[in-house]
Amino acid sequence: MANIEIDAPGTSHLLIGNESIARGTLEAGIGFAAAYPGTPSSEILGSLAQVAKKMGIYVEWSINEMVAMEAAAGASFAGIRALVAMKQNGVNVVSDFLANLVMTGIGTGGLVLVSCDDPSAISSSNEQDTRPIAQWLDIPLVEPGDFQEAKDMTKWLFDLAEELGTLCMLRSVTRIAHARGNVSLGELLKKQHKAHFDQVHDLKNVMPTTFMPVPSSLRHYFLHIKIDKAREMFESSQFNRYIGPDKADLLIVTSGSCWLYSQDAVKALKLSDRVGILKLGTLWPMPENFVGKHLSKSEKILFVEEIDPFLERNIMEIVANLPPSSPRPNFYGKRSGHINAYGELNPDMVIKAISIILGLTYEPRDVEYSKKAETFAKGNVPERSMTFCAGCPHRATFWAIKNALKLDGRDGFVTGDIGCYSMALGPAGFFQVRTMHCMGAGAGVANGLGKLAQFGFDQPVLAVVGDSTFYHATIPALINGIYNQSNFILVILDNSATAMTGFQPHPGTGMTAMGKPTKVINMEALCRSLGAYVEVCDPFDLKGTTSTLLNMMSEGGGAKVAIMRRECELVRAKKEKPPYRVYVDAEKCIGEACGCDRLCTRVFLCPGLTWDKEAGKSKVDEVICSGCGVCVSVCPQGAIIREAA
Amino acid sequence: MSMDGKGCKELFDEVIDVGLCALCGACVGGCPYLVYHKGKIALLDNCTRVDEAQCYDYCPRTYTDMNEVSQKVFGIPYGDNEIGTAQEVLMARTTDTVIREKAQYGGVVTTLLSLALAEGFIDGAVLTKTSDNKAPSPFLAQTVDEVLQCAGSSYMACPVLERYNQIPKDNDSKLGLVSMPCQVLAVSKMKAHPPQNRVNINNVRLIIGLFCTWALSPDTFYKFLKENLDLSEVKKFDIPPPPANRFDVFTESGRTSFQLEQIKKFTMPTCAYCLDMTSEFADISVGSVEGIEGWNTVIVRTDNGAKLMGIAKRKGKLQIDTLSPASLAHLKEASLLKKKRSLSEIVKKSGDRSNLLYVSLSPRLTKKLLD
Repeated sequence: MANIEIDAPGTSHLLIGNESIARGTLEAGIGFAAAYPGTPSSEILGSLAQVAKKMGIYVEWSINEMVAMEAAAGASFAGIRALVAMKQNGVNVVSDFLANLVMTGIGTGGLVLVSCDDPSAISSSNEQDTRPIAQWLDIPLVEPGDFQEAKDMTKWLFDLAEELGTLCMLRSVTRIAHARGNVSLGELLKKQHKAHFDQVHDLKNVMPTTFMPVPSSLRHYFLHIKIDKAREMFESSQFNRYIGPDKADLLIVTSGSCWLYSQDAVKALKLSDRVGILKLGTLWPMPENFVGKHLSKSEKILFVEEIDPFLERNIMEIVANLPPSSPRPNFYGKRSGHINAYGELNPDMVIKAISIILGLTYEPRDVEYSKKAETFAKGNVPERSMTFCAGCPHRATFWAIKNALKLDGRDGFVTGDIGCYSMALGPAGFFQVRTMHCMGAGAGVANGLGKLAQFGFDQPVLAVVGDSTFYHATIPALINGIYNQSNFILVILDNSATAMTGFQPHPGTGMTAMGKPTKVINMEALCRSLGAYVEVCDPFDLKGTTSTLLNMMSEGGGAKVAIMRRECELVRAKKEKPPYRVYVDAEKCIGEACGCDRLCTRVFLCPGLTWDKEAGKSKVDEVICSGCGVCVSVCPQGAIIREAA
Repeated sequence: MSMDGKGCKELFDEVIDVGLCALCGACVGGCPYLVYHKGKIALLDNCTRVDEAQCYDYCPRTYTDMNEVSQKVFGIPYGDNEIGTAQEVLMARTTDTVIREKAQYGGVVTTLLSLALAEGFIDGAVLTKTSDNKAPSPFLAQTVDEVLQCAGSSYMACPVLERYNQIPKDNDSKLGLVSMPCQVLAVSKMKAHPPQNRVNINNVRLIIGLFCTWALSPDTFYKFLKENLDLSEVKKFDIPPPPANRFDVFTESGRTSFQLEQIKKFTMPTCAYCLDMTSEFADISVGSVEGIEGWNTVIVRTDNGAKLMGIAKRKGKLQIDTLSPASLAHLKEASLLKKKRSLSEIVKKSGDRSNLLYVSLSPRLTKKLLD
């Protein structure tokens, strides 16, 4: 990660959007930052954690987004500037708190929420747009259009939050969060933080605190005054600007990374004298006068934005409120079908939309070019499917789950949620996971399924959850299952890491974000204290794990917990050498013949094993094999050999 | 074998899912995909083998060329003797008091096995053992003591051939098998077409077949027993000869009896489609003798079987007597009745007199049994 705390104002550095945001918080002088990891947001807190000690700030990976948000609000209430970062899904998790926080207002320390959205759901379960959440909760919202703005907006948002007395939100997307660009640094604000929660002790005339959402209607009214004030400030914001001719054939209205795509498209079509771009940085409340003024630039308006028609609808509303004599432009965007209402955009899509609207025939370079480029690029990339890493304990766990469910024979199945193990929807986990929604949902769904016996339901239900997700969102579901005697097994895939997002610590790891050893929240002790029957398995013991799961299934009797404990292979491999040297004894390998039918390379599918088609034998790819040796127990012929390395 | 492009999918479609599986164990033990578990065969993953799929090929309920198997075992085509090819039909009982104490009837099986081990006929035998939880499980006995531990019957089907299939191909120990008719048929199919990657069929030196009219399901019957008895107390199961009409369970505290009719509903459905009561392709077949307690009926079928019987007689291990004509007639009648009843069930199931499912019989024999 880049050195975000470098004290060199005016110098330019190559930063990813997330680092730029983190730098912005340092220039704003924050004292507190909290987050739950989630791609594409994780590097914001990750880069702050690295410099936390040096910068004298407190940084934590919280148990979930809700607690992160509430913790940061606590800091704000005591006068400390605080940041919270999360991916789009997290904003839903915190929305209940937010709906009340906007009513109470923040403390004297500015409070900023960063949501990194993921159009096309590149590393997410959905591609939800969080901009409408800011609108329905009356939260001032900005969106950076490049890497410099990511930093500058973040810094400014803390001032804005304090001035308005309300939470402010910055929305970023994957292509800002993870792309890299030049950022000119500003001054680091080195502040002596002094935290104190101010209270009113003379109770004769006033309520002792403002941090309560009552009287609600009155507070709602005051919130609207804050929003009106924000709108007024946004009218003159430097983050909103127009580039283009005074009178344009087409006006593009855009924000965020779509601003970059729009600029590329206009440039590629050489239309800068005909097409204007209105770039908005402050999205909610919308600066109506600024927007209204620029709408008259053209009779045709194209909205270039990803996912929801946020700008489109709000600007249509502005136009609807213009005086009757005002010109009525033609709108193009999601409603008209010129821009997709799903998935990421790119310059090509914008070029296509402009070309259709203006009746141009755009000829991209040689149509075969992209095919050639793809073929050429593919030649250098080994073909791999989406799978668990070589040596991943999850593969072993799902092998045992699959076999146990098949042996049990009652058509049992697995409910799941979000993590590396979501891949068990596919061949990596032998298609075992049958439901996937949000964090912790597998356990919740299992609660319901496990209570259907009276309606003839007799299928065993296993809910899989990662260790980090267990702490994040599963404990209430487990308590519910125990209390209401729902019949399911919670299978905790404890690889002792928040692996999918980059090995951030969680309450089971014994280490804080700032590298300080801390108390481990022992999951089996926790589950046992709730009254759950708990088994701890080593998933690499395939037979033992299968048999444990079979026994647990056959016995029934309420919610139980099976902990699959094996460290994430990527974590282990950083610390020690491979335990085994693994190879295939070609004499013993019977390949595709009856009695095997390529079990290891056709079904088990560890990327460390490859199929030598010519020889008709399996072999170990020594570069990829992690030396875990679990495939030795999979091979029916005893042809895979492991020797202590 | 059948080489008709069928594999585990067809095994489920044609046998397991339609109630024809006998749980003989021929498809499991040497396969990572098919696994026996608590009275059922589970398919853990799909196997793509079809051109050479031993699970399908050796199943006693997939198409079986009886003439070919008979030719391999006896050197003659399949005939129309009610009790199969036989050199001699006798009555026998053990002379060993220890065995007599433990044996279900005359102790012939245990005696012959012990003798075969002692004489070096075999190095071990795959048998059915009642495990600690009282479920029958396959067991490889390598000493006389271990053979004794397997004496007695639970009347439940047991995948004996699973244990056999687990023996590596390169292991050259000589083996004996004690099997039900369905299992004898599976092994005989292996003899006719030796498996490529699994066991070495030439190691099987002795097959003692048991008489069988039906077997109980180790799934449903075991559950029934578990619900009605403390299984840890069970010492022995017995079906006393008619007219008792009982299924007896002897426990530490005495005898518990169930009406035979109550028990029969737990019979393996496949038994209704089985034509073989006397394990017709075994070296020696052994059963009870109707009306004479403490003795076994013994059918000596092969030279190999005759040789072992000869030693047993010479060494006084068995007391041998002739089977009365009445008993023999009774045996033949029972065996023929099973053939007739089962064949008509098969036709009922297939809906076509020319479709006998897995059975291949000459048109003449088919007509004789059906009419």
